[in-house]
Amino acid sequence: MKKILLLVLSAVCFAQMAYADIDGAKATAMVENLTKEGIEKIINSTSTQEEKNKVFKQLFTENLDLDFIGKYVLGRYWRTSTAQQRKEFIDLYKEFNVQTWSKRFDEFKGKKFVFNGTGSANNPNQIYVKTSVPVPDGQPIDVKWRVYEHNGKLKIIDIIIENVSLAQTARNEYTSYIAKSPKGVEGLLENLRSKIK
Amino acid sequence: MLNKFSKCVAILTICGLCGCAGTKESLNKQPDEVSGLENYNRAMFTFNNKVDKYVLRPAAKGYKAVTNEYVRQRVSNFFNNIDEPISAVNHLLQGEFLNSGNNLGRFAVNTTLGIVGLFDVASSFGMEKHKTGFDETLASWCVPDGPFIILPIMGPSTPRAATGFVVDGYSSPAYWMAQESGGEDAWLVYYSASGLKYLNLYAENMSMLESLEEGSVDYYEAVKSMYLQNRKKIKTCGEEHQETPDYDFDMGDMDEDY
Repeated sequence: MKKILLLVLSAVCFAQMAYADIDGAKATAMVENLTKEGIEKIINSTSTQEEKNKVFKQLFTENLDLDFIGKYVLGRYWRTSTAQQRKEFIDLYKEFNVQTWSKRFDEFKGKKFVFNGTGSANNPNQIYVKTSVPVPDGQPIDVKWRVYEHNGKLKIIDIIIENVSLAQTARNEYTSYIAKSPKGVEGLLENLRSKIK
Repeated sequence: MLNKFSKCVAILTICGLCGCAGTKESLNKQPDEVSGLENYNRAMFTFNNKVDKYVLRPAAKGYKAVTNEYVRQRVSNFFNNIDEPISAVNHLLQGEFLNSGNNLGRFAVNTTLGIVGLFDVASSFGMEKHKTGFDETLASWCVPDGPFIILPIMGPSTPRAATGFVVDGYSSPAYWMAQESGGEDAWLVYYSASGLKYLNLYAENMSMLESLEEGSVDYYEAVKSMYLQNRKKIKTCGEEHQETPDYDFDMGDMDEDY
């Protein structure tokens, strides 16, 4: 009986250890802080658009691991790219995202995030922070934040809105573009360069 | 004209569904795009974009200029209320009796206290909105989604989604009221109302679509990916959708499955 108890206890401890790598409360606090700052300093702020963009860029690059996301987005082409292409892609991807997202502020006007706990991301050092955004017309919008811990710091690596993963969408789009482009990865880099103002 | 068109779509899509074996495995292994279909899809996508740019966007801009958010919300509430009986019937078909009752309750409250559905009073009474349609009913009966297809004007779809759209259209109380009255004026009102419903929806989402297009290197691929991921939310064969997407950030796994 004692043996069984010990076995169960060690199994429980092991399971705890496996998921102890990332702290759900800390991850939630990090996302909570980001959404709070975003709403206060950008969406509800009366500062100029230029200032808002600056704050947004800082929040965006500090809280999202765009190196990690960029690598995922490039998919199998990451392996075949040169070091220079990889670096340029990450830089362009960062710029392009900041440019695109800073134009979407108005979509969030008057909205708030409701925190609904965390969920397992099938990886011990990753976790989902679950939130929802109530809307006047219909069911609340489901938004999940995929957070991971890297070098002791928490970073967001994906945002999933109504089951649509931004990282997965970008990966599908970019890898398809590269596959069709006669210049491959270089073709994608050219396209991104032309889009950045 | 529209009537004929929707009948054609219904026939086409039902033909597409014929012979489908409804197993859970077959549901999960649907091809995203049938080979050879991509050329057609991309051509139709370009055509739809032109219609968007030259017809829908100017119309939606005009509509937005003459209405404010309050008015658009009333319009949206009105059409949502008309659709409640469709949800009630489909919840019944899916065996979700409580939700079906909720839809009928909401319809009764919002039609009366909410002044023909202009105000969503039921939500403030704690009767939450749970919309469903024939597409979700088919999914609950294990009918596979089928490949991704771009329909003229209507845009991204699948054979199951298109079938659901057409059946919902025919089961709408608005359609039956027009059918019952039979007069030309009744049909004119019906088609104008249907047009207003989609114009209102388009106007509300126009800026988001514009920003999505601007932020894409391959707009078609982005729309396809988002549409298919979102559809995985639909409950299939009585199962809830996956809690989290099934891909992993494992750099060794470089397949491009959706």
